[in-house]
Amino acid sequence: MTGQSIVLAADVPFPPSVEDFYLPSILPWAEHDNYWFTKITALVWLTTALIIIYFLVSYRKPQLVPTKKQWLAESIYGFVRNNIAVDMIGPRGVQFAPYLTTLFCFILLNNFWGIVPFVQISPNSHIAFPAFLAVISYVMFIAVGIRHHGVVKYFKTALIPPAPWFILPLLIPIEFFSNFLVRPFSLAVRLFANMFAGHMLLLVFTLGGFAMLNANAWFAPFSVVSWVMTIALTFLEFLVICLQAYVFTVLTASYVQGALADGH
Amino acid sequence: MAGQEPSKNPRGDDADNPPDTGMGMTAVAYLISGMLVWGGIGWLVDRWVGTSGIFAGIGAVLGIGGGVYLIVRRLGV
Repeated sequence: MTGQSIVLAADVPFPPSVEDFYLPSILPWAEHDNYWFTKITALVWLTTALIIIYFLVSYRKPQLVPTKKQWLAESIYGFVRNNIAVDMIGPRGVQFAPYLTTLFCFILLNNFWGIVPFVQISPNSHIAFPAFLAVISYVMFIAVGIRHHGVVKYFKTALIPPAPWFILPLLIPIEFFSNFLVRPFSLAVRLFANMFAGHMLLLVFTLGGFAMLNANAWFAPFSVVSWVMTIALTFLEFLVICLQAYVFTVLTASYVQGALADGH
Repeated sequence: MAGQEPSKNPRGDDADNPPDTGMGMTAVAYLISGMLVWGGIGWLVDRWVGTSGIFAGIGAVLGIGGGVYLIVRRLGV
């Protein structure tokens, strides 16, 4: 009896580990240690395709009185343009609205795979994707600043705060560190960590339920509580998913605004 | 949301910083980077001189002071 329950418990890998984020590859099928085409890859391509197709279809024959599809697409674009781009950057923000909308949709949908039943892993729980998105935003805000001010003046406004000369040596390293090193890092890590932790949390409660059930049949009620918690946490995850897509977009807009600002 | 008009009072370029997430993040980034940069430099000096941490301590305090100063100058009125 005891031996059997140990064998059963061994079937459920608990606690979950980082290994659970590296799924077997799809092509070639079910091979471990082969990461060229995995579920993650498939999901990223699917996300890209879905966004492109959705916006193409809903704008194909634009109507004055919008259809439901067109209404939704326009709402998303309008939300990012008015409430993020124009609010943060000012009138010039309109020219960044397409990029910000793309970023927002891409992150939102990629995050959303984390709570879709039977998919339940977000590509953004691998740091490569948030990191690359952060690199794009980073290169963009520096390029925008350089184009707006010129190289010397941009780095002057970015690095030299309005302060008496004798504290500048103390302040310039801090400015450099926080503007050019911390920004891309925190942008990437914030999104990655939220998605990683979310997936981990759901794994802990789901697998924990099985682990308790296998350990002792009397724990069954607690298993049920654990699975109910999983459902509740899925709703919490939905909140985190939307919030992180929004925060990433807002911060990118705020960095662009900083690059365009003319110092005070 | 649909057909929403552009906000009634779009920011002119000379207006204040938008009162949004950006500022909080910037403030935290200044505090932490102030401490890390000058604490780190102090730590290197410690290694070089052979003291056991006095310069790292001084550096961290100076750095956080600089961070606070930067927050006041960049984000204050």
